[in-house]
Amino acid sequence: MSLKLRDLIRQVRACKTAAEERAVIAKESAMIRTAIREEQEHYRHRNVAKLLFMHMLGYPTHFGQLECMKLVASPHFPEKRIGYLGMMLLLSEQQEVLMLATNSLKNDLNSSNKFIAGLALATIGNLATPDMSRDLAPEVDKHLSNSNPYLRKKACLAMARCLRKCPDMVEDFVERVVGLLNDRSHGVLITVVQLMTQVLVIDREYILEEGGGQYDGEEDAYYESPTRTAFLKLVPSLVKLLRNLLSMGYSPDHDVGGISDPFLQVQILTLLRLLGANDVKASEEMNDVLAQVATNTETSKNAGNAILYECVQTIMAVESDDGLRVLAVNILGRFLLNRDNNIRYVALNTLAKCIADGAHAGRSGDGGGENGEDANTAASALQRHRTTVVDCLKDPDISIRQRALELIYHLVNQENVEALTAELLNYLVLCPRDHRGDICSRVLKVVDKFSPEDRWRVDTLITMLTIAGRECESSVQSATTIYISQSSEDLRAYAVHKLLKAIRDDDGSQQGLLNVGIWSIGEYGDLLLKPYSYNPPSSGGNLSEVAELSAMAPESAPVTVSFMALEPTSVVEIVEEVMNRHTCPLEVKQRALTCFTKLRERFENSADAATLEKIQNLVKKYEGSSSLELQLRSCEYGALINAIKGVSVKGGDGDDIFGANQGSESVSETVKTAAKEALARMPVVDIKLIQRKRAERADALMEGDAMDPFDAGSSDDAAPAPSSSGGGDLLDLNDIFGGGGPAAPVATQNGNALKAPSAKIEATPNNDVDLLADIFSAPAAPAPAPVATPAVGGFDIFGGGQPAAPAPAIQNNMFATQPVAVNPAPSLGSSLVDPFAAPTPSQQPLQPSAPAAIPSSPAAVGGPTPSSVTVQGFSHQGLTVEFESSKPDTWNKQNSLLVAKFINTTDAPLYGLHLQVAVPKYVTMEMKPPTSTTVPVTGGSSTKQVTQTISVTNTMLGTKNLMLKLKASFTSKGTKVEHLATCSGFPAGQY
Amino acid sequence: MISFILMVNKQGQTRLSSYYEWMDMQERVALESEIIRKCLSRSELQCSFLEYRGFKVIYRRYASLFFIVGTKADFDVRVKGIASDSDNYENELGMLEFIHILVETMDRWAGSICELDIMYQLEQVHFLLDEMVMNGYVIDTNKSNILRSIDLIEREGSKNEGMFR
Repeated sequence: MSLKLRDLIRQVRACKTAAEERAVIAKESAMIRTAIREEQEHYRHRNVAKLLFMHMLGYPTHFGQLECMKLVASPHFPEKRIGYLGMMLLLSEQQEVLMLATNSLKNDLNSSNKFIAGLALATIGNLATPDMSRDLAPEVDKHLSNSNPYLRKKACLAMARCLRKCPDMVEDFVERVVGLLNDRSHGVLITVVQLMTQVLVIDREYILEEGGGQYDGEEDAYYESPTRTAFLKLVPSLVKLLRNLLSMGYSPDHDVGGISDPFLQVQILTLLRLLGANDVKASEEMNDVLAQVATNTETSKNAGNAILYECVQTIMAVESDDGLRVLAVNILGRFLLNRDNNIRYVALNTLAKCIADGAHAGRSGDGGGENGEDANTAASALQRHRTTVVDCLKDPDISIRQRALELIYHLVNQENVEALTAELLNYLVLCPRDHRGDICSRVLKVVDKFSPEDRWRVDTLITMLTIAGRECESSVQSATTIYISQSSEDLRAYAVHKLLKAIRDDDGSQQGLLNVGIWSIGEYGDLLLKPYSYNPPSSGGNLSEVAELSAMAPESAPVTVSFMALEPTSVVEIVEEVMNRHTCPLEVKQRALTCFTKLRERFENSADAATLEKIQNLVKKYEGSSSLELQLRSCEYGALINAIKGVSVKGGDGDDIFGANQGSESVSETVKTAAKEALARMPVVDIKLIQRKRAERADALMEGDAMDPFDAGSSDDAAPAPSSSGGGDLLDLNDIFGGGGPAAPVATQNGNALKAPSAKIEATPNNDVDLLADIFSAPAAPAPAPVATPAVGGFDIFGGGQPAAPAPAIQNNMFATQPVAVNPAPSLGSSLVDPFAAPTPSQQPLQPSAPAAIPSSPAAVGGPTPSSVTVQGFSHQGLTVEFESSKPDTWNKQNSLLVAKFINTTDAPLYGLHLQVAVPKYVTMEMKPPTSTTVPVTGGSSTKQVTQTISVTNTMLGTKNLMLKLKASFTSKGTKVEHLATCSGFPAGQY
Repeated sequence: MISFILMVNKQGQTRLSSYYEWMDMQERVALESEIIRKCLSRSELQCSFLEYRGFKVIYRRYASLFFIVGTKADFDVRVKGIASDSDNYENELGMLEFIHILVETMDRWAGSICELDIMYQLEQVHFLLDEMVMNGYVIDTNKSNILRSIDLIEREGSKNEGMFR
């Protein structure tokens, strides 16, 4: 017995759990299937109704589709009706079943009963497939001129569907539309206006598709088509229609909130927008009526605002005159003051779109010039509403705030950047944490682009870090440091004073602030010892206000900024306090160590002995740290400080820490100078260059952390490991200076290599190793390797950038036996000494790599060019495969040349040698055939060695190592041997 | 154009759904629950629009029932990379007004409409909706026009039989 729909609904509602509900539905589905199978015609109607209900709840109903078809064919109206409804709701147009309905639809379209015809039209309108559209369009067309408005309006929309499905029919139908525009029924009018809008859209789409390459996005606006031309002629009728609506008195049928048929008005305005865009004549024709709508519409109700909103959009899109545009922007300005959030939302949205379009038009240049100017008019009108937009930032609705924020980014220009940035910073304080990072980056962009002066820029960035140092991205931090380092000495002093104050006041959670602050204190600590005061010129009054976040009003009086001179002790204490917080991140601690080391140097002449001693102790404190990085830094910096003091540190085995047994008791002047230089101020870095390089690196690597200049940890991690395990004192020192390496390339950059990136790439690998060899080695052979003299840049000890320049100052070569030529070994330079140096451009081509392999094998350090490494592949059944690996190109370290050497240790030759090599995805490989497939006994009578050359390119060099999977087959003494092996012994980071 | 019209109660149960753009069942269920969750999380003070999966969703709440309309641009210019003078978004404020007209029409049709009316007369409400919207476009917004035809159709239907339902 079949349930009634009502009962089914009751049952479902009574279900307490989803499982119960599923059970009820499953049972009912089964019943319906049975009914369908048994052809229980009597219940068809009811079953389809139930299916609709189940469909709404989200259960499968596909088995009911055919039932709908059967109902549609029924002669009874109620059955037909539910059948069509079922079709519309349950079927998609993809379903084959629809084909079956075509005939019923055709019959029903011709039915004398207007409701049956109406049903058929509705179904076509909702479901028609391209085939159906083609078949039934003539019938639909007939109804367009039906005497009954009920059918005319449905026919309009059904026609729209047919045309959408078969765009090529568009042209044939244009004529019919004209008469319909004079219809008295608003239902027909609204549908015919929508039909026209759709036809325009379809036509344009169709033409653009047909036109193919002819229209390339920019030109599309100027397309012409017969349809459009025909419709343009109708603009006066549309204008008349709209004007009639405006002047029409109260008619209860169409009145919504005191406005006659707002829906129709909106639709007409939409259509006018499409027609008027890029058509001066049409725009002129509609100009008056748009002005009329804009000025006369009642705005107390939502309906009126909907019309105004549409009208503004139309004004903005068509070629309207400037006055009208200003009017439109003012309407939006009024919207912004509205208390209704919906209205403010659309206003903000539309304004943002106008600005964006304006920018687009401005950019597209040719032909868009006029548009661009128009947009400028709108933009300047918009500037007047700036304060209103800014006020929206204080709205409780987050979507409003987000929109306002978007808009403000667009509004910023040279004149208002200070005020608006202040507002953005204000908002930064209030906004949810997860939005802060984004806002910081946007503010950085704004500051980057429009900053009126350096002081303001540095000031703003520091303030931003004070507010959102926790959330801001590392790019913001590095940009800030770069700006500080780029600025004048005076400004640096200001920045470092300010940062010190901010750090002192902070609770230690603003990591970005700490990073930047501690770096700056280290670099410019000496400036802290002098008092600082600055009298802003009266024009740039709001600087300090921004700084203090107290008064944001731009017109407030200039305030003198002054900071007291600090004692070295207190500076050290502040940094120490930061470092001692248990929440202090490791990254900050690392930087603090660097900072101490540098402060030790900065305060050399100004601080008393106790302070200096304290600093050294602070550095030493971490010698036993469980963090490898801290420990390493601590030890190395300790050595560095000692070097400056001129104390020679004895290594555990009695050797001088600075290299080979020299027997000299004190550190040479050379070493001292070098150490001092290591602690000198960082070179100024060009931010543009960094940004570009960073982007390139990002492309090349797609490894978020690897390119993060602040994330030195990732590379640091690799560094200590080998040095602690490897070669003792020398290695450690190697690391210190290797770590200093990144600074060196900057020197190079300042010199000649700025224009020749490739030279830089080459330079980088040099300097680390060379300088090591040079500085800390026996005073023996003259070093051909270049060591830059301070003349290149005061900071540049490692700057072996110019291969041409001989280095008279330091002529020690550790590996005197081998001339240190251009060494292709990759950079040692993970950012050990100062992570801030990490982003120096020249380092990019190479990922910081573990320095292990290089110092531990002198051959690699000073070896001939190109140095080669022999890696054992495998050894099996008398066949040994070794890879002699080398770098064929000094400029591209990703490429390696592997020469597989086959060694036969048996006493008989091996035949049929076949080596297969597989590599991971990030490596590309090319194999040459082996020199021979027969491997003679190595060391036997035949001296010929069998080799096979493989060139590989490791695209992830530095992050992933080369790995080979080998499969060798050969015949040894008559037995076929196959062997699988994996070879991963290539020096990490180099291959 | 309108992509879908939903009526969902405060508990997130769909009381009526009408899609003018085909979506398969899983998508529908996910979409409905996501949207109602978003609607419910918004306060009275917030605006009635939200963006979800490329739809601009406009909702209005009447007592415990949410009327939700999802709209899309007629011609998705951004996908085709064409300038934006004809991306024909529905007027959000107009849609709000349309929802109101829909509710008023239903209200006049059923006396005072409530959630259960919609539920138990599902197909009737669909018939009414079909008089107002077709394929995502508005047919008519005139209450008396709509109700007159509904009334006539009802009479037409009851002419032949009382035997069904």
